[in-house]
Formats: sequence, C-alpha cells, structure tokens
Amino acid sequence: MRRRNRLSQAPWRSIASIIFLLLAWETAARAHLAPPLFLPPFSVVSVQLWQSIADGTLAIDLALSLARAFCGLALGVTAGILLGLLMARVRVVEWLLDPLVALGFPSPKIAFIPIFVLWFGIESLSKILLVAFACIFPVIIGTYSAARSVSRLFLWSAMSLGSNRKSMFLHVILPACYPRIFTTFRIAVPVGLITTFTAEMVAGGGGMGATLIYSQRFFESPTVFAYIVVMLCVGLLLDFAMLRFQSHYLRWAEG
Amino acid sequence: MHLKMGGTSTIRWIGRVAPLLLFGALWQFVCSAHVVDTEFLPTPAMVVAAMGDLLSGGEIAGNIFITLFRAGAGLILGSLCGVWIGLMMARSDKFKAYVTPIVGGTYSLPKSALIPLFALWFGIGNLTAIAAVFLACLLPMIVNTYHGVVTTPKVLIWSAEALGTTDRELLSRIFLRNALPDILTGLRIALGFSFVLAISAEMIASTNGVGKLIFMYGENGTYAYMFAAIACVVIVAFLADRLVLLVTGRLLTWHESAGAAYERRVS
Repeated sequence: MRRRNRLSQAPWRSIASIIFLLLAWETAARAHLAPPLFLPPFSVVSVQLWQSIADGTLAIDLALSLARAFCGLALGVTAGILLGLLMARVRVVEWLLDPLVALGFPSPKIAFIPIFVLWFGIESLSKILLVAFACIFPVIIGTYSAARSVSRLFLWSAMSLGSNRKSMFLHVILPACYPRIFTTFRIAVPVGLITTFTAEMVAGGGGMGATLIYSQRFFESPTVFAYIVVMLCVGLLLDFAMLRFQSHYLRWAEG
Repeated sequence: MHLKMGGTSTIRWIGRVAPLLLFGALWQFVCSAHVVDTEFLPTPAMVVAAMGDLLSGGEIAGNIFITLFRAGAGLILGSLCGVWIGLMMARSDKFKAYVTPIVGGTYSLPKSALIPLFALWFGIGNLTAIAAVFLACLLPMIVNTYHGVVTTPKVLIWSAEALGTTDRELLSRIFLRNALPDILTGLRIALGFSFVLAISAEMIASTNGVGKLIFMYGENGTYAYMFAAIACVVIVAFLADRLVLLVTGRLLTWHESAGAAYERRVS
C-alpha cells in the first residue's frame, strides 16, 4: 500500500513542484515584481536559450568547457589513483606525501588560479591543470583509504595461492578498490566542473564561465539565466550517468 | 594521549613537518639554480619576507577577516537551514516529494555559476558572497542530515516511544542525535565549499577580501605577495578543517567509528 502510494504520488508531486516553480518565476517576472534586468521571464530565457543553441555559441562554449573539465579530470584522477595506491603500499611515499595532502586537501584550490595563469597562460592549459590540481586530493585520499582497508583475507588468500607482488597489485588490491575509487570519482566530477566554470569566470579565455560573466557585465540577463540552466542540466546529466554506471557495473560492491 | 608522551610526539611532529621542509628546500634550490626564473616563482625566502610584511601591515589580516566573516555567515545560515530541511525531508513524505526535484537539481549545479546572478541581484560585496556560500553549504547539509535521520534504527525509535518520549524530544534526542555523525561530515564538506565560494565570489565580484587581494597582487605582478597571500589562505583553511575535526572528535566520543577516524587523522 505504502509502496504503491510512493510510486504514484512522488513523481506527481515532483513534477508539480517544478511546474509551480517555473510558473511562479514567469508570473513574478511578468507582474514586474522584479525588474526584467534582474529576473527575465522564463519564456524570454527559453527563447534566448534556443537562440544560443541555434547560432552555435552555446555548443562552442560547452564543448570547450567540457573538454577542459574532462582533460583535467582524467589527469587528476589518474595521478590521484596512482599516488593513492603508492601511498598505501610504500612507506616512504606515504611519509613524503601525507603532510602535503593534509595541507592541500582542505585548501580552496581556486585561490591558486593566479599562479596557474602566471605559469601556464590564460588559455586551456592553466584551467586543465587547475582542475587536475583540484581533483587530485579527494582521489588520493579515497584511493589511499580504500587500498588500506582491503580485507586481509583477500591478501592472505592470494599470497597462499602464490601471487607475486605485481599480480597481487593488479588482480587483488586494485579491483578491491574500484567501488571506493568510483565513489571518489563521483565527488571529483562536480569539483572538476565547478573549478572549470569558476576558472573561466575569473581568468576568461572562453568557455561557459567566460560567456556567463561577460553577459552579466553587459547586463544580458536572459543569457545569464540560459547559461545557468545549461550548467544545471550538465551537472544533472553527468550525475545521472555516473549513477547508472555505478548500479550497472559495480553492483557487486553493495554501496 | 599525545600530550603525555611529550618526547615521542615532538619527534613524530618533526617527522610530519620534515617533508614540507624538504619541499621548501627543493623549491629554494630550483630558484637558486636558475631552473626557473624568480619572476615566475619567487623563492621561499621572498615569500616568507612578503608574508611578514603583509602580517605586520595588517593588510592580510583585515582581508582574511572579511573573507572569514562571509564564509562563516554563509556556513552558519546554510548549515542551520540545511539541517532543518534535511530533517523535514526525512520525516515528511509530502515535503520530500515536493523538495526532492529542487534539491536534486541544484545539488549538481556548480554553485559558482550563480555568482554572476547574485552580483546582478545583490550588487558587489558581502551579500553576493554570503548568498553564494549559503547555497553551496545548504545542499551537502540537507543531503547528509537526510541520510542520517533516515537511517535511524527503528529499534531506537520504538524503545524511546515505549519509554514515553514525546515527539518533540524524539526529534532532538533520537533523530538528530543519530544523524550527528552525518551532519558533522556534511559540515566538513560545507566548510570546504564555504572557502571556495567566498574566495571565488571575491575574485569575481568584490572590492575587498582575500580573494580580491590575491587577484590584485597577481594583476600587479607582485608575485611574492600573491604567493604569501595564498599561503595564508591555505593555512587558515587547514586550521579551520582541523577545528571541525577536533569538534567532531569531541562531540562523537560515544560513536565508535568517528572516534577511530579522529584518532587516525590526528596521529
């Protein structure tokens, strides 16, 4: 009974609340509760969004931002997994990196953007490296703690079956870490997106963030809203895709 | 424990700081050997001198306090509202059904995207930064509180009810108590967001604060000062994070996992 209720009611209420929100937005804007500069009606934003799609500016900005985010993510996640595994298995590496990670993990990475711009210019390279720098710390910590908590039973069983160091690493420790690594990957993706957009807003050089901030400076509010809506959808889609991936390929891991 | 064993803890502390000193020495070497131009990478000595200058001048302290005020105000407001909304979502199916799409939608939105919008609405300064921090802190608090309350063991609720606990007491003594570890985890995440958003907002739309200061030093080309200001931010963020961990350890002495996690991080 309760179950059926949830199934039949929850989507209805969810859709209702979204429609209510959009209607409230539209009426508030149409009734001039706020100047159109501050709150353009939803319909105007939709038209602007369509125009941005039609004239291709959105596609270019989105492709540039996503490319930067993914290059940075790939770099940061690969390096983070490697360093995390090394820290978990090699004492010297752990001793050397632990204080740096402890200091780097809580620091707001966006504060480093002037350094990256100084060293790598205002084009894509500085953004990619900043994204990698922002993503690497959670991945290191996640991989490290995953590799440290691999069940002793697995290790002992593999050892007694005669695994050498290499196959132990490749066939026991790494697969045992996959679920936790994926969890940290789910943390790293939004961090990568946020860092890309913010870096583009602060340092320019094209992309979603740069166009957003230019539109704001020239008071083109519909574009500002349209771009925010697109960013929201990108975030939602990526998270949805990762959830699907997790439930499909990592079902054995149970959470 | 580590207070009693003064000698070994000092040695351990030196052991932990040594890699940082090593890193500093490497940095100094790279600069002195002219591997890189000191125009692009000021030596540690220059950065330390700049930091001393900034600290004695009071310029950094003032701006860091402005940033801390913005981050702190947004964090506190966001946490309080987040705990409330999370609790409501966990306790009322109706509320949850209405709020879920909004929370789900804004959860994956990069919150810094809203800074230009807030700048449009609230102008340049405190309100924009606080609003951005507020939203960024709100969502992890909602999600964590919700998770903590929903996972309350039925046995605890039944026992409390059987012993005559009123609904109001149930809220604070069972649900929120059970959710406390999750809430504190959310708080640590929110703390990280609060610094990022406050500094981003200052870089994009502000005339003061440490984010603006860093950005200005970068644009003026006074790189030693820029590095010094960034180092100050890193240290402040590190200390704030440790403070949250310390409070977490104190509050959760009764909770087995959190206590262990705290010990592990401190030692």
